[in-house]
Amino acid sequence: MADDAAMPRNRAPLLWGLAFMVAMFGTGIFARTVGLNGFWSMAVMLPPMLLLIPLIRSAERGGNLAGCNSPALSRYNRRGLVWAFGYVAALFFAISVNDWLKPDGPLLWLIAVLPALPILYYVWALYRYLIEETDEYLKMRYVGDALFGLGLLLIVSTVWGFLESFKVVPHVESWIVVPVWAIGLGLSQIRRRISGS
Amino acid sequence: MRNRLKILRAERDWSQGDLAERLEVSRQSVNAIETGKYDPSLPLAFRIADLFGLPIEEIFLRD
Repeated sequence: MADDAAMPRNRAPLLWGLAFMVAMFGTGIFARTVGLNGFWSMAVMLPPMLLLIPLIRSAERGGNLAGCNSPALSRYNRRGLVWAFGYVAALFFAISVNDWLKPDGPLLWLIAVLPALPILYYVWALYRYLIEETDEYLKMRYVGDALFGLGLLLIVSTVWGFLESFKVVPHVESWIVVPVWAIGLGLSQIRRRISGS
Repeated sequence: MRNRLKILRAERDWSQGDLAERLEVSRQSVNAIETGKYDPSLPLAFRIADLFGLPIEEIFLRD
């Protein structure tokens, strides 16, 4: 019988994830430091986005090694790539059009809502994952991670909201909810990895 | 809830991967059930029982 107790640990996804975060934040700081705005501030963010491809691929390889991959999870990961690139493209397009055309009225509404569409697609991808996942343990684990993310979001937004009401902190745009939730999801996955569960 | 999954699997010389393949679940699922981190649903428990040809209560035991 194969020795199953030793689950192989694959650190590649963590390293690619760190590289992605460093590249994104580094590029953001660079753009701010040299004073890039609008079109160019988005253009420099495109190369770091490409790191998402090896990140997703290594996560899938890691999942296969650890025996926790499923066809539904692979589809979810691919949809994740679609929404991430779709989001950057939509934001890029919206900022560019806004900079050049300075639209108002219905066109401005359309441009403003455009970056939200890939995020709605992401919400749909989450829903589809939970519908399509036939492995009940993986599904339960994902639901646990999602609830952890939701808990973090509720805590952060409630505390921040009151701090904002008392003028202690600046206003934050409400689209931040999805990134905060996703950070919670990721933290929960890291917590599981560290605790070995 | 305790279970005899690891013993039953060892008797058949199956790896966790072999059992996972037969049950059509991930290897992590088998590992989580074996180590008591996760109690399977009733349908999955029946599938496990059917696979080993045993009643559920001979595989899963009360604490």
